[in-house]
This record gives sequence, C-alpha cells and structure tokens, in this order.
Amino acid sequence: MVVSTAAPVLQQLDASWTSRLEPLLAAGQAAGADLVEVFLERTDHLGVLAEQDDITSVSPAFGMGAGLRVFRGLRDGFVSTNDLSAAGLLDALDQALGMLGLERSSLGRGSFAGLAPLRDHGDTKADWLARCPELADATGRLLQGTAALQRQGKHLQVRRGSYARDWQEVLVAASDGTFARDVRLHQSLGLSVLAADGDHRSSIGRRYGSQGRPEHLLRWDGEASAREVCDSASTMLYADYVEAGQMPAVLANRFGGVIFHEACGHLLETTQVERGTTPFAEMVGEPIAHEAVTAIDEGLSDGAFGSLSMDDEGMEPQRTVLIENGVLKRFLSDRAGELRTGHGRTGSGRRQSHNFAAASRMRNTYIAAGPHTPDDLIASVDRGLYCKSMGGGSVGPTGQFNFAVEEGYLIENGQLTKPVKGATLIGEAKEVMPRISMCANDLDLAAGFCGSVSGSVFVTVGQPHIKVESITVGGR
Amino acid sequence: MTSSNTTTPNATTLNAETLRSRLEHLAARHGIGQWDLGASCSTDTSVQVDRGEAKQMKGAQRSAITVRVWNGDGLVGITSTSDLSDSGLEKALSGAKAASAFGNPDDTPAFSPLATAPLPALEQPIQPARPILELLDTLKQAERALLERHGAISTVPYNGLAQRRSERVYLNSDGACREQRLSTASLYLYARAEETGRKPRSGGSVRLAYGVDDLDVAGCISEAAERTISHLNYAPIDTGHYTCVFSPEAFLDLVGAFSSLFNARAVLDGVSLSSRDSLGQALAVPFLSIHDNGLHPGNIGASSFDGEGTPTRRLALLEDGILRHFLHSEATARAFGVAPTGHAGLGAKVSVGPDWFEVGPSPGSGGGQQGLDRTGGSDGRGLVLIDSLSALHAGVKASQGSFSLPFDGWLIRDGEARSIEAATVAGDIRQVLQGIIGFEGEAKITPDGLCPHVWVEGLSITGEA
Repeated sequence: MVVSTAAPVLQQLDASWTSRLEPLLAAGQAAGADLVEVFLERTDHLGVLAEQDDITSVSPAFGMGAGLRVFRGLRDGFVSTNDLSAAGLLDALDQALGMLGLERSSLGRGSFAGLAPLRDHGDTKADWLARCPELADATGRLLQGTAALQRQGKHLQVRRGSYARDWQEVLVAASDGTFARDVRLHQSLGLSVLAADGDHRSSIGRRYGSQGRPEHLLRWDGEASAREVCDSASTMLYADYVEAGQMPAVLANRFGGVIFHEACGHLLETTQVERGTTPFAEMVGEPIAHEAVTAIDEGLSDGAFGSLSMDDEGMEPQRTVLIENGVLKRFLSDRAGELRTGHGRTGSGRRQSHNFAAASRMRNTYIAAGPHTPDDLIASVDRGLYCKSMGGGSVGPTGQFNFAVEEGYLIENGQLTKPVKGATLIGEAKEVMPRISMCANDLDLAAGFCGSVSGSVFVTVGQPHIKVESITVGGR
Repeated sequence: MTSSNTTTPNATTLNAETLRSRLEHLAARHGIGQWDLGASCSTDTSVQVDRGEAKQMKGAQRSAITVRVWNGDGLVGITSTSDLSDSGLEKALSGAKAASAFGNPDDTPAFSPLATAPLPALEQPIQPARPILELLDTLKQAERALLERHGAISTVPYNGLAQRRSERVYLNSDGACREQRLSTASLYLYARAEETGRKPRSGGSVRLAYGVDDLDVAGCISEAAERTISHLNYAPIDTGHYTCVFSPEAFLDLVGAFSSLFNARAVLDGVSLSSRDSLGQALAVPFLSIHDNGLHPGNIGASSFDGEGTPTRRLALLEDGILRHFLHSEATARAFGVAPTGHAGLGAKVSVGPDWFEVGPSPGSGGGQQGLDRTGGSDGRGLVLIDSLSALHAGVKASQGSFSLPFDGWLIRDGEARSIEAATVAGDIRQVLQGIIGFEGEAKITPDGLCPHVWVEGLSITGEA
C-alpha cells in the first residue's frame, strides 16, 4: 500500500542506518549473492522560471528512495523503490535475489563481515541547503537577468531566465564493507531569448552551473550573461543558412568540448565495451587520435558541475587520463564494468537517482590545452566553419555522432567573416579523432547534462579551441 | 527460508477516496480551501540480454504526487514528492502554499470546467504481470532468433523487454475524482551488423502492447532484421536536393518535434511559429489533415483524462491544410475563449502537449499526387527514403521552424534501394508541409500515431564524404 498514514521514513541518511542495512546485506550474501549494494537518497529540488518580467513557475519537489543491486557471477539484478521501511527494503531485496534465482535466508551472514566505519564526505556540507538563496532571492535575481536581457537585446520576442537547485544526500552500503555518505548541491542558471524581425528568427540560450557552491546564485554576473546571450542572438538573427559540405572546422572552447564528449567520451565508457559498440575496445596503448590530443576525465575540479566527493558506488573519483598524445590510455569504469570487462574502477559509477543502477559515466571531461593561440587555428584555414557555440548532440550504436552548431561563422582566407546558422556536424569518432590537428592554449569548461543508460547526470565538457582538418557539415 | 522466490513485484495501489480524505483533513489544518492533486504509482520489471546471457534485470516501484493549492489571493503554488506518508503530504501542502506567494497573477490556472465531465470509454485490458524469468527467456529467444537471421548480425547491443502496471488519480477540492489503471509492455531490439572491411550498420524495431503475452515478438524480430540487413549494402550519397519519402515513424517524429505549431501555450508564450491569427490560415498543402487523437485504439497506454482531469478527445489540428484548432489546457482555453481540449499537464504553469497524431489525406481531397510508388522508377538523381530521424533534441529549432537531422535511409534509383552511408536532412517545417506531393500506401499504426509514407519534394541532403 503506497498511501499510508505511517510515520515518514524521510530521515537523515547517516551511520544510524547501520543496524538496518547490515541485516539486509547479510541476508543477501547468505542467499548466495557475490555482492549486495544499497543506494539510498534524499532529494530536494527547486525550479524557478522567469518569463519577460514575471515569475511564471516555482516548482519545489522532494523525495527519497533506494536502489538495491545484487551481483552473482557476471549477472546482476536491480530493484528501486520509494518504500524505505524495513519491509519495503526486504521486499526489494527479495525481488533482486529472485532475478538471479536466489532466495533470502535468515541463516548465517555468508561472507559478510559487516560495514566499515562510515566515510562521511558530507559532514562538512550539512549547511549547504540552508545557505542557498531564499526563494525571494532566487526570483529577484532571475528577474534582474531578464531585465538585463531587455536592456541589452534588440528585437527580443521572448526573454527567459531559469534557476534549478538540486540537493541530494546519498548513502551507499555494500556487502564488501563499503559504507559512504555524501551531500551534493548542484545549481544552474540559464538565460535564453528568441529574437524576431520579420521572417528572421534566432534563439540563443546559455546555462551556467556549479557544484558545492551554495552562494553561486548570488555571485552570478547576470549582466555579463545577458550580454553574451544578446550578442549571439543579434549576430545570428540575420545569419544565412550554412552551405553543406566537407570542410575544416575550428571549434571554440568551453561547450565546444561536446564534440569530444559525444564523439569519443561515450565510447570510452565500459558500458560501451560491454555492449560491443565501441571501436576502441581493444586499442588501449594504441593511437586513436592525432598526437596533438590529450584528453582527461576527472571528478576533482573545485566547483565544477561534474565533480564528486565520491561516485554513486562509494568510490572516490580519480583524474583519469583517457588519451595521452593520441594514445588510448584507459576506459572509465564502474563496478559492473570492472566485473565484465576487466577495466579497473575509476570512481565513475554514476546514476541520476535511485531509480537507476550506476554505470560508467563521464564527469568533467576535456581536451587538454595545446601550444597555439585561437588565432593561429583560424589563420590556418582557407575556407571552413568556425563553431563559436554548440548545441546538443548524440552518438549512435555504430559510433556515428552528430551535434548542432548554435552560433557559427564562415572562415575565409584565415579570417572570420559572416555568421551562418543551421549547421550540424556529423561523423564517426574513429575517423574524426585523428583529424583534430591543433589545440589552442585557452582551455575552459562549461556545465552540461548528459543523458545515457543511468539517466541524466551533471557533467562538465571542455576544451581549448581546436581545429578539425575535415568534417561533414550538414546544412541547406 | 523466510520468503518465497519473488520475481514479480507486488502491485502498488492508490486509493482515491482515502487520499481525498487525508488531503481534505490536511488542507483544512493549513487553512487551504482550494487544492487539486495528481498522483501516480507504478511497478515495473524489465530485462536486457547480451549474447544469450542476462545483462540486467530491473524492478521498480515508484510513487509520486503533485499538489497545487490556491492561496487567499487566488495565486497558485505547487509541490511534488515521492513521499506519500502523512507527513510527506503535509510537507507538500505547506511547500505549495509557500510557493503560491510567488504565483503569477497574470496567468493563474483554475479547475478545468470539464474535470467532472463523463470520460470516454477505453478498451484497455489489464494483463497479468509475467515473472521476470519468463521475460528473460522470451528476450533471450528473441535475441537468438535475430542473431540467426544473418551472419553479419553480431550483436543486439540495445534490447529490452519491459512490463508495467500503473495507476493515476486526479482529485480536486470541488469533488472531481479521476482514476485510471493500466498495464503495458514493450519490446525493443536494435541490432548491429558488420561485414569484413565495412563499417558497422544497425537497425531496430519496437513493439507495444497491453501485456507481454500480446507483444508481436516475431514481427519485432523480422522488422529489426530486415532493417539491419538492408543497411549492409551502403554507399555515400551526393549532397544536393532530393525528393524524400518519409516513413510513418520519421514523419510523425518531425510533426511531434514541431508540435508547438499547434500548442496554445507556445502561442501565448511567443515561441510558436503560429499566432492567434493563424487559425483558419493555410499551413500545409490542401490535401493534408492532422488530428490529435489519444483515444485511437492503436494508442497503447492512452490516458482517458489529462493532468487537469479534462477528458481526452479527438481534435482536428489541420483540415484541408488549414489550421483549425490549438491544443489547450484550462488556462490557455480560457485565454482563447474555448473549451479545454484534454492536453494539459499539472503545474503552476501548466504545460500543454499532444497525445497521438493521425496524419493523412483530407477526406474527399484526393490526397495529392496519385499512384506514388517508390519502386516504380525515378529521375536520375533518385528518391531518398528516410526511415528514421536522430538527434531531434539537438537538430530541431522549433521556434525558428528549421531542422538539420541525421537519418537512416536508402537512396532509391530505378526501383532499387541502397542504404545511405551517413547523411543529414535539413529544411524548414513550413517548407515540408507545403512541399508534400502525396501519400504512399496505407496508414501505419506506430507508437506515436497513425501515418502513411509521405512524399516531400526538394529537401536538402548532406552526405558524408
């Protein structure tokens, strides 16, 4: 019965759960599981939307839940539930065991030796939620943002500002003794506009995010953000559609890093090795990219959207060099990935919520800076495309990637000339990575969201300006 | 042993009257006179396999509730939670009341005037949940059968068999009470094939039903195999403009991506290509009609009411190419002076969205050019058959009307089809709707709607060199 009048179980997730979790883990282990893992979470979300000069939506949400995962051999069963009562968790365990042909036993503890002392990464973060801006502050800042858009923009038909605050408390316990807790706080702000003049239209948006910085909203420079959005919208309003074809491209820093994220990063997750959908599965130690390319994934950068104190399997994150001077060094791996592919865990087991089993996912992923200036890259192109701002993208099961160019310019004789719109970059990772021939010295990161097998997670993408010798540009 | 081998999750239940009684009690305690809520709960089981072995088996029990309250000034606040305990509901109510202080006085939702109107009858048989190990066996057999269809099919990297039991409730303080129970099942198979010295190719298929026993597993296997095999013989395509034939799935994806054309919320927000004045104007060729019909029997999992309790109904969007109606919530309908159409979500600012499209020739119009047959020859350049579109989230600019999308498909010359190695199709949705030549074949039921193959002239195709 979901609807009950029982006392709430929405209590703090801390060491007091030991007495409830240990019997659960012992029962699973005694039933014959190789490993039992419990992921508990509490969440508190706030979303605010400002349109023109009004607050049009305030959407608070809160919740809790558990995900139980049982491994036996190379197989696993996963069950999620909102019912954190003892009976609810036992029921979930029974389901997960049953998926593997196991039955719970009250006899013995198997090889379970008890939980280790709690590694509490959240003990210094107890006041994070309380330190976040009050709702009145959030609405006020957003309205300042949309007012700044009005002051700085031209032909603006729609002005929007949005704010999202996601607080999450997690507790991970596993029958190998893992016992860890963390508190996460992600905040993001977005400004977007639709400019229209007759038949000409342009829509531009930017989002800025941080992790672990309660005062993020109050330090946000709304004027500068509005200027960036309005400048792009004005430039693109009268842009012509790009002419389709094969050409060199220079991709700007920050969110330009989505090319590496989509084209290559996903193919370096062990989930892709398990599926047999990465062309790089057997290429560790071999060149897969131009020697100008060194690529890193890490969860350590202070305040970055993809940073973690621990992953969703209780492991502390690492700085993982994926590609060094063009040579593939290693894959991103989680617990199941290590089990099934042999690639060691990297603190990359991530999930959107308790409704998903963790999987190997990117964190802060970027191409390292190179020796050139951005102007060097542009000057080296006779005729090509400069991609100043990227939209979203995706990669398919055969390694084909695509992503949209939100703000682009033609490069003619080494100079930026007219703005162009409607471009989509497409290609295959295996073919494009060796064509990244120049990296500039202006590495910068941008916050984003990545949707994949374990849901939508907070990530950072990044790169310096890079030059791709030749890529297919879809247009009209 | 302390328990039986539980491989089928316990069904969860919502009791609308119990929920109402608790909400009334809690609302009175907080001095809240007007409220409504949407609640749902579901149990899911699903399996994935990898080369004959279980890859992952999942179960889920979910519950959620969204509460809206109106404060003394008539402003609306909202809060959502998965905690349906008394204290969870009370916290949600107080959160919604606090949020109502920031309600928008210029656009305040009200109860739908149709929240107590009779609901349409839907034929939705509740099927029993199958044990998860049975699902696993079924999917293993399906994977094996697909792998055996062609030597080049090496894996089925994306696959899944899932079943769900769910319940929805809508209640409001004026006495409205809506309930719906549903069972659904889905199967998807996405195969990968590779021949020596050639690029890997892929193709897939999806089936929906009210229960696992009703799924067309054989049809799904055959369709996934045929699609995958058909892409093995591929070649690049020259960049240029082509007459394109959209599969029903691809055309419905495109219409869905630009559904803001028909969305009153988007019109009021200024992000639609349509305006209030667009009603009655020609948006497409005069032989095209588009209806939204969530009640169509082919719409597996149809809802009989929307997030505000308004009954679902069939609505003409385009008739004879003319824009006839917009999709509405209570608030947008009030702004337009019409009745809600049953397309609302539930929120402080209520979203509006389509249910399930019916696309085809307008009755009596002739349906454009007759006898279209892609096997019957073509000009020297050939026809492009677009089977499926990708990356709609990135490649569609709905507020501008433009799109640039990767696709899987074939170039057809002189009746022979050859898979296109990699390409994008680009254009403007208005250009597409005005460039339709005609329809080919019978309309097909898909998960997103009903549609025949649609011929469109003059779209830009970019091939990968």
